[in-house]
Amino acid sequence: MTSSEHSCEPSGTNEGGIPAEPRRTFFIWMIRVIPSVMGISLVIPLLGYVGSPAFKRREEVWAAIGKAEDLVPNEPQELEFSRTVKEGWRTAIAKKAVWAVKQSNGAVTAFSPMCPHLGCGYRWAASARQFQCPCHGSVYDVTGKVLAGPAPRPLDELPIKIENGQLLVLYKDFKSGLDHAVEL
Amino acid sequence: MLSTVYSWFDRRLRIQSLTRTLLDEPIPGGASWVYVFGSATLFLFCLQALTGMFLALYYVPSPDAAYDTVQYIQHEVQFGWFVRGLHHWGASAVMVAVGLHLLQVYLYGAYKSPREPMWIVGVALLLLMMGFSFTGYLLPWDQNAYWATQVGTNMVASVPLVGDLLVRLLRGGASLGALTLSRFFALHVLFLPALIIGGIVLHLLILRRVGPAGPWSEARAQQRREPFYPRQVFMDAVVIFAVFLLLCVLAVTIEFPLADRADPSDHSFTPIPEWYFLFFYQFLKYMGGPLEPLATWVLPSLFVLGLLLWPFLDRNPERRPASRPMALGAGALFLVAVFVLLGISLRNLHAMPKGEPFVARGQTLFAQHHCAACHRIHGEGGKIGPDLSYVADRRPDRQWHVQHLQNPQSVSPGSVMPPFQLEEKDLAALISYLLSLKSGVPATPGT
Repeated sequence: MTSSEHSCEPSGTNEGGIPAEPRRTFFIWMIRVIPSVMGISLVIPLLGYVGSPAFKRREEVWAAIGKAEDLVPNEPQELEFSRTVKEGWRTAIAKKAVWAVKQSNGAVTAFSPMCPHLGCGYRWAASARQFQCPCHGSVYDVTGKVLAGPAPRPLDELPIKIENGQLLVLYKDFKSGLDHAVEL
Repeated sequence: MLSTVYSWFDRRLRIQSLTRTLLDEPIPGGASWVYVFGSATLFLFCLQALTGMFLALYYVPSPDAAYDTVQYIQHEVQFGWFVRGLHHWGASAVMVAVGLHLLQVYLYGAYKSPREPMWIVGVALLLLMMGFSFTGYLLPWDQNAYWATQVGTNMVASVPLVGDLLVRLLRGGASLGALTLSRFFALHVLFLPALIIGGIVLHLLILRRVGPAGPWSEARAQQRREPFYPRQVFMDAVVIFAVFLLLCVLAVTIEFPLADRADPSDHSFTPIPEWYFLFFYQFLKYMGGPLEPLATWVLPSLFVLGLLLWPFLDRNPERRPASRPMALGAGALFLVAVFVLLGISLRNLHAMPKGEPFVARGQTLFAQHHCAACHRIHGEGGKIGPDLSYVADRRPDRQWHVQHLQNPQSVSPGSVMPPFQLEEKDLAALISYLLSLKSGVPATPGT
């Protein structure tokens, strides 16, 4: 918009002795700058506000699942536990289960309870000494190795540690169907 | 590139002539710093709408979740404190801006013919704004929100015949609870915004039809005419920027704290309304007994009615303040009354023995753990355990109380008091409260 459109604007010089034209340019400049400054100073915090939970790393909580001494070597046990899950403002208690096995060498391994093929819940067949998935017939041995069926990878191992005789596990979910474990 | 796009649209939508119509609005007597309040109010409304939309990203209107979500916004979301701070201080600022806008229009006699419709819509906008403030106050679901709304809704009950019905409608039932919260939320973020946006559009539409009033002196109005753009726009922008900066400074420096989570069983809590309702709060204190309905609904209704019809009540066609002694006298009297009441109320609040928040928290815990079932404080409570009215005189040692609460028998053998497993912070608060109970200190209200 040019000044010629505003014939009613007082021309020449005014009270301050400053010519009208530069003053007008100053007004227009300010009218553009002020909203821009306000916009930027709002957009930055608002972007952080919207984005912050989206990029927040999940808190890792070790959950106690039972006593190490209760495990019998080479006899997998399904251990249930409650886990506190924090979703933003909401703290919920979720029931989860893992398969824990005391291996022949004495080390304890924990497997995610979901079949890596398509996420069904598998079970331990004590007579056959195998983990068997009822959905598509995947079969694993006691160390989690695939023995038969469509499973693309061994059972997913979860981080586990023993503190004061307590078994602590770091529960995770994995993508199914891939030939390597990818955490969700 | 940009200008090609612009001219493509301009050829179809005639944007240039539209902006010219919007910006070339002639102002009688020229631009002035006195005319900025309307724009400032509009800006603040937009800022409230914006920050409100962002708050709604995390807020959940349920008694189980509301308080937690506000805590989450305040303490965990990036810049959550800033967005909430802007919304809180913006709510106060919008009231100030509306007040100044109304005063300017009143002083300049700008409500007189032909601008009566604009005034009426303006008063409706003021009422809607108060509706926003009333409904928004409940949403954090803390003690203040709960008990202030309890009082606010109870006042409606004093209206004869339909009062009870109105309160039930307002609360969504007989008592204040989950249904109240969800309807206040819906009113605050859906119904009222729809109404007020319609009202604002109407207000501005009328402005464009009747034009701005300009100075009260006809001679000065005739002296010159100046378009809205750029000088008035510039003045508006500068004031808006100053207001925005002020809000940012307030939001950054003064955290608006949450009180404790709403506890419908804790009748010891004394709610304090927002400062812009304080004058009315003080007024109510003077109107006890049979006068009460007068204060709770008769006078407010008459006042609103009078305000709406003011252009027809004030039939003096003169706009010059010097020729309107009655109107200005009435206005001044009202202002003096409001500010005197506000002053008294603020002074009383200031003089109130302000318990440390820690002590207040301890007092709440004392009630929550039903300590009064066995212990008596200033005549209230059971007689099974020792009277605690002046317990700090006998037991001034904090460590003794820590041990005593966790394992009473360890320091007081044979005591029948059960142990209390409290979190460290709560334990400290409860003991602070016990240590505040000593002779020479006036009893805290509520004990």
